[in-house]
Amino acid sequence: MPDAGGGLIHVSIQAEVLFSIGGFEVTNSMVGAVIASLILLAAAWYVHGHSSIVPGRLQSFVELPIEWMADIVAGSSSRWRSYVALVVGLFLMILVANWLGLVPGVGTIGLVHEGEALTPFVRPAAADLNFTLGLSIVAFIVFVWWGVRVHGLAGYLKEIAGEPRYMAPLMFPIHLISELSRLISLSMRLFGNVFAGEVLMTTMLALTTAALAVLPLAFFVPGIFLVLELLFGLVQAMVFALLAMTYITLAIAEHTAGDHDGEREKGTANEPDLQAPGASRPSSTSAPA
Amino acid sequence: MQGNVSALAAGLAMLGAIGPGIGLGIGFSKAMEALGRNPEASGTLFVPYILGLALTEAVAIYCLVVALILIFVG
Repeated sequence: MPDAGGGLIHVSIQAEVLFSIGGFEVTNSMVGAVIASLILLAAAWYVHGHSSIVPGRLQSFVELPIEWMADIVAGSSSRWRSYVALVVGLFLMILVANWLGLVPGVGTIGLVHEGEALTPFVRPAAADLNFTLGLSIVAFIVFVWWGVRVHGLAGYLKEIAGEPRYMAPLMFPIHLISELSRLISLSMRLFGNVFAGEVLMTTMLALTTAALAVLPLAFFVPGIFLVLELLFGLVQAMVFALLAMTYITLAIAEHTAGDHDGEREKGTANEPDLQAPGASRPSSTSAPA
Repeated sequence: MQGNVSALAAGLAMLGAIGPGIGLGIGFSKAMEALGRNPEASGTLFVPYILGLALTEAVAIYCLVVALILIFVG
């Protein structure tokens, strides 16, 4: 794999292979994904075993993001119970995987082969297109499946064909591409953001440690970007989960009685969405303040 | 030589991030204006706001992807 720039910064766009088991290559991003899953599993298992009606500190900490996300999902449509687990699961997985990449040692501790750059043991999972594409394919299958389930296969194809029937030969491919572009944009958005974040952090560290005169900057300039990455990790996890939710909600929304009625129906279906977070927000924000 | 040209092309591809940058600024300023007029609407605004910014930002991400392809593949 080619290097990005000179010898100063080494960036690899694909995950590096650590070892292979019978032809199955285990990459460092897989290690990152497995560690993130293990953290989530351990938290779920521990809190489930020690949960009480009056939540303790740890239980509240684990429940907070779940409740917050579930509140938003609960307002999206009347059938939210069937996909709330998927949306919250996507959110938590991406959040933990993103924040795992900011732990010291991740991306800096690894193997060094002769004459090659460092191969880190752990790479943030979302900095590998395979991980984000996998999540997007899951979300894609779910929202297409919902479209087919609610409207039937014929209804779904009719919806893709568009409203004036004589325009169908033109609109069918366009709508098909727009459906597929959701898959591409979902995966590329997460991958691009996390990978660009990694490159940014590497560049900032390389620039501030390049010469002795700028070395004092190395103590706080990467820190600023570290805080920024914390924020981006949360926002990107939220964006992925909310977009998956929106696509599912759009697939469920009725379009049967013409375009105009469909729009109105969608509006009424979304109305609780506008109420639920608003109603829950003041209580959740005023509690810590 | 080819490496230099593709690096230049990658830099030029990132010029496409200008548009989304302006768009994000407009979106954010409008959201803040709406919030200033109607502070109780923060919960209502939140989800559409995040989604709007994410969809605007997708264009910049496409530029980034093109730039990355030019650097690493081209």
